[in-house]
Amino acid sequence: MAIDRRLLLNLDWVTLAATLLLAAISVATIASATQGTRFGGLYLKQAGIFGAGLLVLVLVLSLDYRRLADRAPLLYLGAVVLLLYVLLFGPRVAGTKRWFFVAGVQVQPSELAKLAAALLLAKVFAEVRRDSLGLRDILLPGAAIGALALLIAAAPDLGTAFCLVPMFLSVALLAGLRARAILTLVLALAVVGGLGWRYALKDYQKERIYTFLDPQRDPRGTGYQKIQSQIAVGSGGLLGKGYRRGTQSQLGYLPARHTDFVFSVLAEEFGFLGVTVVLSLYLLIFWRGLETAAQARDRVGAFLATALVAVLAFQVVYNVAMVAGLVPVKGLPLPLMSYGGASLISSLLAIGLILNVRMRRFAN
Amino acid sequence: MTVRIYEDLRQVQARVLLGQYLVLALLSLLAAHFWHLQVVRGREFREKAENNRTRLLPLAAPRGPLLDREGRLLVENQASFSVALTPEHSEDLDRSVRLLARLLRMSEGQIRERLARRSGPYRPVIVKSGISLAEVAALEARKLELPEVDVEIVPRRAYPLASAAAHSLGRVGEVSEIQLQQPAFAHLQPGDLVGQAGLEAQYNQRLMGRDGFRKVVVNSRGVEVAEAERQEPRDGPSLTLTLDGHLQAAMEQAFGGRAGSAVALDPQTGEILGMVSLPSFDPNGFTNGIDPALWSRLTSDPETPLMNRVIQGQYAPGSLFKVVASVAALEEGVITPATTFFCGGQITLYGTVFHCNRPEGHGLVDLHRALQMSCNVYFYQAGVRLEIERLSRWAKRLGLGLPTGVDLPHEAGGLMPSPEWKLRTQKTPWYAGETVSVAIGQGQVMVTPLQMARLTALVANGGRLVQPHLVRPGPGQPAGLPDPVDLHLKPETLAAVRAGLWAVVNEGGTGWRARIEGLDVCGKTGSAQVVARARLQKGGAPTSILPHAWFLSFAPREQARIALVVLVEHGGSGGEAAAPVARQILQAYLRRDAGPSLAPASRGAD
Repeated sequence: MAIDRRLLLNLDWVTLAATLLLAAISVATIASATQGTRFGGLYLKQAGIFGAGLLVLVLVLSLDYRRLADRAPLLYLGAVVLLLYVLLFGPRVAGTKRWFFVAGVQVQPSELAKLAAALLLAKVFAEVRRDSLGLRDILLPGAAIGALALLIAAAPDLGTAFCLVPMFLSVALLAGLRARAILTLVLALAVVGGLGWRYALKDYQKERIYTFLDPQRDPRGTGYQKIQSQIAVGSGGLLGKGYRRGTQSQLGYLPARHTDFVFSVLAEEFGFLGVTVVLSLYLLIFWRGLETAAQARDRVGAFLATALVAVLAFQVVYNVAMVAGLVPVKGLPLPLMSYGGASLISSLLAIGLILNVRMRRFAN
Repeated sequence: MTVRIYEDLRQVQARVLLGQYLVLALLSLLAAHFWHLQVVRGREFREKAENNRTRLLPLAAPRGPLLDREGRLLVENQASFSVALTPEHSEDLDRSVRLLARLLRMSEGQIRERLARRSGPYRPVIVKSGISLAEVAALEARKLELPEVDVEIVPRRAYPLASAAAHSLGRVGEVSEIQLQQPAFAHLQPGDLVGQAGLEAQYNQRLMGRDGFRKVVVNSRGVEVAEAERQEPRDGPSLTLTLDGHLQAAMEQAFGGRAGSAVALDPQTGEILGMVSLPSFDPNGFTNGIDPALWSRLTSDPETPLMNRVIQGQYAPGSLFKVVASVAALEEGVITPATTFFCGGQITLYGTVFHCNRPEGHGLVDLHRALQMSCNVYFYQAGVRLEIERLSRWAKRLGLGLPTGVDLPHEAGGLMPSPEWKLRTQKTPWYAGETVSVAIGQGQVMVTPLQMARLTALVANGGRLVQPHLVRPGPGQPAGLPDPVDLHLKPETLAAVRAGLWAVVNEGGTGWRARIEGLDVCGKTGSAQVVARARLQKGGAPTSILPHAWFLSFAPREQARIALVVLVEHGGSGGEAAAPVARQILQAYLRRDAGPSLAPASRGAD
């Protein structure tokens, strides 16, 4: 159980340092975004959760990722049960059923489900030992992930559900999925998406997409968020307005400024310089994460690291693009930066798993 | 641990490298976009953020008050409340409009119409002016629901005299679309109040002062958190008028509810001491913007209460014109005071019979008696001797048929016909017989009461044509009045005319009803035929066919202190209807003026 010294030597201190730095920036930004509001003390809570998350991360390091992958089906089953439980018995918060509470601790099954999905994908695709995969080969894992995505989407939490798509595709691609198969898959997704738009999407979700296409349509609804976020980002300029001096955030024009739009607070107060620093830290983590995949000692490790980088990178790219007004507003937190315990813990766990793969690359 | 052979991960490694570059590319693209937003378009967004966080709240400058010649307030300001809305700060404009419409009892359409007229983004739009305290309370109670709505304190015009002197003082109203396109009003916004009539309009620029503003920092709920900038308003300076509040009141009172007009001048200076046009209107009804019902009632009223009859009413001067004919004939030497004509009650000239006002005739009359009794036959013959060119030239020299240049907008000029004018406008030559009518002030001659008052002042002051005006010259007042024009009339002319006018009142002449013991009142009666109107209103009320009753007067005979013209519409004879009104006014003015003090305590002695 104990981590032996050899493994510690192979620990990726660079990724860990980048993670710590991002967490520090996160806590500072949340403190600025919430000062003088009823959320004023949240940055301390975030710091506490980060500390707890680090402990969990260390715990995960001590377990061999292969052992975890072996138990992926079990974890997957657990995730499904939790998702069903929250759907059936979870409290309705702001019109959604995403969380439930265990002894006062908020549990968000969808965040855990992402990790279970990554482990399951790594395990299943690692078993398929062929250089080239067709559609038939991905049917089973596809169905498993699809079911999970549906359960998450039912919460409703479309953003998190959609995160599973890049995760699945990246692993399938790595495992040898043929180009023609990908094309077919994309087509199928388009058809499903079309039908979904027609029958499954709620009006408010459609409205969000409409307003994205034409923000003036509803300047105070979701379009308002986009406009205000763009103003915050743009007015930050090269060097920003200074810490705790962003007018958009401090005067309350920015919505969800300590959660989904925390990056716009950063962009307003620290400018392009701050944006560059944070994006570079993310790039560093993802780059080294994929390096880990390339250097992994086995397919399970490679696939696991890739799946986790894919899901984190997708969230970062989407969230940052959303803050900049490039994509529709979705409730997708920025990993390691947004306020929220579940997201932070699951992001730290994901990084822990990547570190896990990396430090065991020479081990047998 | 089971020993495992290292797997072949080459394909995996190649594709992972692709993934790394994909992530690099995506994050670089995002960074490039942030460069575009923050650096390339930074200024644009900084402005937007600034507009977002600040609000420009106008600090309305109170319009300058209007004072009478002794400093009594004629027009002042009172605090009122306006509702302003800034659409950019609205979370849901439709909802806000609905709520405002309900709270202010307006239609949503009215509010939207006002929003559509605003001049630019982030500028508050006045939704309603002069709201009640209850409405202010209702709005303040919903401040959190309506962060985009501000209640502004705006000074509102108040006219304590109500309808008295309304035509000289004028009224304010919202600046019109047409006015907004003129350079003088370019800095204004729809909803701003400007002078729309009378002195309020004439001296609008000066009275308005300059509005200031407060630039405040507000949070997203519209709650002010700090003041960023402040420019104090510059109050409009006060304006001291020539009007005499007491005389003005006496003039209104003297009419006893009849329609008509009166104007009193200081004959030496041309200062307008009082100006009445009846029926009048209450300018307080316009200070919150025009109420459509009130407006249509005032504009469709056949009695035209909005018209200032003193400068816009154009009437035949009737026998008042005999003063003009007298001066002209004496100055041109076609008669002397001693010249006599025989009046047999009528006279045939150019083949037409012209009647006198006394069918049995006045016998042999000289100028003195002709004026005293208002003998038409005398002036028919004087007119024939003068001929139209000289008569017309003298009338114009004496200020008839031309605007006086008084400091009020929309003054009418009247008309003094001449052969040249007739040929130009009617393409027919002048008939000699027309001169006969013109000589007694009928025919096509049209004058305003103010022109007649100026003529009266000229006779009273010894031949100087003064500039009638309402604003007193002096320090802190608008500059510049033209000097009186001395017509260099012969002293004999003036003496003869004055003697005649004195006799009108004091020697049993047509104006005897204006006589006041101990005060040398001079006057002249007149009645203006209203043929056209009588024809128009066939079968109308009998009063509408009666001529307008005129009376011009000045007093005392030497060193006159007041020149007064009264016109009672459809009053009938000037001596019967207008002279008593004039008497009442003159008495009120001269008795008080003669007293030692204006203090109310001393008035018991009157």
